[in-house]
Amino acid sequence: MIYLDSAATSLYKPRAVSQAMQRAMATMSSPGRGGHPAAMAAADAVYDCRTAAAELFHVPDPEHVVFTMNATHGLNLAIHSLVQPGDTVVISGYEHNSVTRPLHQRRAKVRVAAGRLFDQEAVLADFRRLLPGARAAVCTHVSNVYGFVLPVAEIAELCARFGVPLIVDASQSAGVLPLDLQALRAAFIAMPGHKSLLGPQGTGLLLCRGTGLPLLSGGTGSQSVLQTMPEDLPDRMEAGTHNVPGIAGLREGIRYVSARESIICEHERLLLRQLKAGLTGLPELELFYDSKEQCQTGVLSLRSRKLDCEELAQRLAERGVAVRAGLHCSPLGHRSGGTFDTGTVRLSVSPFSTEQEVQETVRILREIL
Amino acid sequence: MQRYCLIMCRSLTNAQRSAQVLERAGITATVRKAPQSISGEGCSYCVKIDDSRRRRALEVLERASLRTGKIYLLEADGALREVTE
Repeated sequence: MIYLDSAATSLYKPRAVSQAMQRAMATMSSPGRGGHPAAMAAADAVYDCRTAAAELFHVPDPEHVVFTMNATHGLNLAIHSLVQPGDTVVISGYEHNSVTRPLHQRRAKVRVAAGRLFDQEAVLADFRRLLPGARAAVCTHVSNVYGFVLPVAEIAELCARFGVPLIVDASQSAGVLPLDLQALRAAFIAMPGHKSLLGPQGTGLLLCRGTGLPLLSGGTGSQSVLQTMPEDLPDRMEAGTHNVPGIAGLREGIRYVSARESIICEHERLLLRQLKAGLTGLPELELFYDSKEQCQTGVLSLRSRKLDCEELAQRLAERGVAVRAGLHCSPLGHRSGGTFDTGTVRLSVSPFSTEQEVQETVRILREIL
Repeated sequence: MQRYCLIMCRSLTNAQRSAQVLERAGITATVRKAPQSISGEGCSYCVKIDDSRRRRALEVLERASLRTGKIYLLEADGALREVTE
């Protein structure tokens, strides 16, 4: 199988990820509970991952790295912490349902800084216009539909100027593009473990500049007499038993990408370039990309003028190419990009994708169309 | 006879970070669960060090902006006695 669905979940991981998970299953219990060797081994593994994440994303201390189930969980925590019913929140036009649904549930008044696809200046201008008076802002670093890199550094600068706390959704960028919590001065950065950090499903990180409000209450292994959640991070936002095998695996994923961060981005952009070159000129196909390479990561959306996107994805699957079609849980992104009525087929690469796989995909696509 | 002291911490992660900072400063530090009798609000963690390194350890933690809780001497018979510094 040629796997080009890494924007959903990376399938191929460093071998050390599953090895660490198996070791954790066999030798570790749970951190913050007992004081015996199995509990302390789990505590060490979890702390090791916190420290590695803090280093990679420039979090001042590991206590401000909170483990979550996924990016959605982290975004819910962040939104719950900052947004009250009726608050005005500015979001980009490329947000996932993991942002728009929690805001809807919170009954926030949402202003959309839509901006044209691949036009960073237009997005920035919209944020500049809409931010004054907002209670919070949420911006994805990279669109999960188009791979469009949003100008988060400049948006963060605007948020700081207007005194608006910023939540960054790094679902598509963590492990690919540099991310610096301190430099961005974001209130929160949420990310999954199972995409470009190459960890297992069921893991995620929420990087916190200050503290936040818990979504879940329960055991933390600390201050047990209190019936409120502890004030200090990470315990405040980590109720219940940790996913220790997942976190142990994520640690290895972070180790892998930390050593290769710029290489991974270059590799993915090289493959994207090859995909574009191979598919450009096919009259049946509409590709969504920008000539400015720095505006896009290793994600390419396309649509056929004759085949429904799900039908095209199905035919690719039958030929051994795994992609994702439809609205990609981002109807807002598709509206902003002009593909809401049709959806798209999304091809997304990983550090383990190869040039041969890209060439073979191009050949198969050409045959299908 | 070697005596130990226990530096109370706000959380397990805080204890781990404190121990890491101490180890980097050459002070052997072990994270352990704090005795129930000194845990105040319930389960907590502490860092155990040789008491002869206590003053130096507190300097190191302060320099790293790591807030510490109460400090206890752990006697060989298991008795605990709070110390001020």
